[in-house]
Amino acid sequence: MTEETPNEHIDSVKRDYAEGHASRREFLRFATLLGMSASAAYAFVAKVENLRFVPTVAKAAKMPQGGTLKIAMRCPKISTPHTFSWIFDSNIIRQSNDYLTQTGQDNVTRPALFKSWKPSKDLKTWTFKVRNVKWHNGEKFTAEHAAWNIRRVLDPKTGSSVLGLMKSYMLNDEGTGLWDANAVEVVNASTLRLNLKIPQLTVPEHMFHYPFAIIDPKEGGKFGVGSNGTGAFLLKEFEVNRRAVFEANKGDYWGGNPHLERIEFVDFGDNHTAVARALESKQVDGIYIGQVEQYKLYKGMSHVNVYRVASGATGVARVQVDRPEFKDPRVRKAMRLAIDADAIRKIAYPIGKEAQHHHVSPEFPDHLPLPRFTRDVAAAKKLLAEAGYPKGIDFEITTKPDPSWEVKAVEGLVNQWRDAGIRVKIKQLPSSKFWGVWAKVPFGFTEWAHRPLGSMLLNLAYRSGVPWNESHYNNAEFDKILNQVDSTPSIKKRRKLMGKLEKIMQEDGPIVQPLWRGLFMAYNKKVLGFDPHPTQYIFGNELAVQA
Amino acid sequence: MTKLFFRRLLSIALIGLVISFLLFLIFESDKLEVAGKVLGAYSLPEQRLLWLEQNGYDEPFLLRYFQWLGKFLLGDWGVSLQYDTPVRPYLMDQLKNTAILGGLVFSLTLVFSLVLGVLSGVFEGRMTDRLVSGFAVLTTSVPEFASATLLAAVFVFWLGILPGTSSFQDGFRWIELVLPVTVLVIYNFGYYTRMTRASMAEVMTSQYVRTAILKGMRFRRVVLNHALRNALIAPFTVMVLQLNYLLSGVIVVEVFFGYKGFGKMLYDAALFGDLYVLEAATMIAVAIAVMSQFISDVGYALLNPRIRFS
Repeated sequence: MTEETPNEHIDSVKRDYAEGHASRREFLRFATLLGMSASAAYAFVAKVENLRFVPTVAKAAKMPQGGTLKIAMRCPKISTPHTFSWIFDSNIIRQSNDYLTQTGQDNVTRPALFKSWKPSKDLKTWTFKVRNVKWHNGEKFTAEHAAWNIRRVLDPKTGSSVLGLMKSYMLNDEGTGLWDANAVEVVNASTLRLNLKIPQLTVPEHMFHYPFAIIDPKEGGKFGVGSNGTGAFLLKEFEVNRRAVFEANKGDYWGGNPHLERIEFVDFGDNHTAVARALESKQVDGIYIGQVEQYKLYKGMSHVNVYRVASGATGVARVQVDRPEFKDPRVRKAMRLAIDADAIRKIAYPIGKEAQHHHVSPEFPDHLPLPRFTRDVAAAKKLLAEAGYPKGIDFEITTKPDPSWEVKAVEGLVNQWRDAGIRVKIKQLPSSKFWGVWAKVPFGFTEWAHRPLGSMLLNLAYRSGVPWNESHYNNAEFDKILNQVDSTPSIKKRRKLMGKLEKIMQEDGPIVQPLWRGLFMAYNKKVLGFDPHPTQYIFGNELAVQA
Repeated sequence: MTKLFFRRLLSIALIGLVISFLLFLIFESDKLEVAGKVLGAYSLPEQRLLWLEQNGYDEPFLLRYFQWLGKFLLGDWGVSLQYDTPVRPYLMDQLKNTAILGGLVFSLTLVFSLVLGVLSGVFEGRMTDRLVSGFAVLTTSVPEFASATLLAAVFVFWLGILPGTSSFQDGFRWIELVLPVTVLVIYNFGYYTRMTRASMAEVMTSQYVRTAILKGMRFRRVVLNHALRNALIAPFTVMVLQLNYLLSGVIVVEVFFGYKGFGKMLYDAALFGDLYVLEAATMIAVAIAVMSQFISDVGYALLNPRIRFS
């Protein structure tokens, strides 16, 4: 690892942590992003806190070997991994192929096919060392292979959503290609360098974005049964919409050899009750994700363990700020003031957490706690009157019927808005239609998945002009602070800046955000080694079954 | 009859041609959305346009239609946009599953509703009739999702003796068919029982039956040899037409039990705009609809000697 070489960013986060400006969790997250190895970071934690026992990633060594594990999960088409748009399809390729980095259940980003990395002082040049691993066909994995994958996901013709994530620092202003011919630079067979347009701290985390699986360049971007990979399993059978069957790869896996002999994903369609019945009647041993309304049902199954995980997954009622009716920030703030977020959480998502309308989860290490944002109907009415709507105002919100908690949350919001004179009609579209227009409707309720950092979400959704900025939010001050955040490794300073952004979101922002989702998965008690991931990722080589 | 058969074949071809053209036309306006679905909800508009171009969508509409039609007739049904898999084997797999489910439901419904319907029709107004009719009305009025939930609660969650889903993940197993078949038979048999009963009761009051009874013929023989044939005309015709319903109307049960069938496939394809799956599935549905009409015509003529093929 590179922690021997001086790295002043790492020194700065070490200092933040040692002086008490950053929590242990925050330190781990940022130190590893900056290239410190997870074990060295955990060792530093032990030194500072004078702990004798260090929590590490190493799982119990004594796991039962062999056996088959069946998990209920959708099995959509998997032929073009770089354009995956769900998390479940990435869970299929994740068993047979690796990513360049890996963000674990503890939100710490660790090396994967890149065994270490080091950013330059200005965070604009990132040097990655390639791990010495072999593809399933015996060939050596090289920096050239990694570069091919990176260039491919960044090519607009590929259609990968990685593009949206890296566009700001890797592509030219028109978004038609890399910003510089040398942006992805192969130094030698085991070293790769990224030269960024602007400073960016979270590059290693972006490399674990779900459509960023590393595939063999020779296969031209395709994936299927018999495809080459570097992962712990081999894809043996695949029937779209039915199942995916993996068998353990004989040979050493760098991430720890799998305990299971077989892992199967079984598709029961989009009916959640069928999934619960399959687990109850032991047709499967685990489920990819549970629905909040089924929480008690799963808790009631005597042979099943329910695993909960806090997450930054959420849904936001967002308006487009360039529409005349939502142009006035006072209207937007009134919409937030009219809401008692915790009441919505209780109805719609009892196992979630109350949110504060700024889309920066308390789970994120860069979150700065602000005073609680409370309901104030009188103030909301006053703001509306000042904005020129003394008699209230009428809107229409676009939603989808699935998952059902979203429906409940929106109904709750609508009821509370009514008290402040904000009369909202609900327009529900079928889910597939909704996804066609989600970014276009003037007022809609959108779900957002978990990301490991708050700044990552703000960059994706609220920076002016980025592709997923569905609210067309455009605030120069917000963008300026966000740029500072992206180039500030010091946790203390970073959190302060994030606090400013949170405040802007509450005062001026385009969203009403009632809750954070808590996720849960359920597995048969015979399944060992399962650790719920906030992004619902499944790592088959960690799992085992008791005979 | 041969003539009728060929006329039906001709109508399959004509209906198929019209419908397939209309479908092509409808989804033509949707193609940007289709690109969005193939590339995912988060793809950018420029990426979608590139995809359309790469996949030949900028060629003239009519050319693409006739290309598809030609290939379809030669047995090349194209590749599913949603699943990126050849349409024909995928569709045949779902069709086979639906044939198993539909065939079982059809034969069981047939047996139950004919036996019970004849019994209650013959003994109209008596205790047997009241019981059968009451039961039939009750089961028909319970929707499929309600009885499915109830049966699953009892047999899967409480007793734990039946599997909760029917996706044949480990190959075909009879036990996985029990719940979906039961739900569908319960829902369907009442209607046909009532219809058979009405038809039977009517025939039983006709003069030739009365004459037969009065002249001292054994009751059993009157019913089986004389009344039954005439009484079956109406229920038979309607039941054969039910084949269409079994093809795509059982979707509630398919979804509930995770059963991979034709109805669910058609529904998904329609929502996604998966044109080639939709076209092929519609062609098969048309063929089955027209052929079941043919069967019903032939059966009707056999049951009713007054009808002759013209």
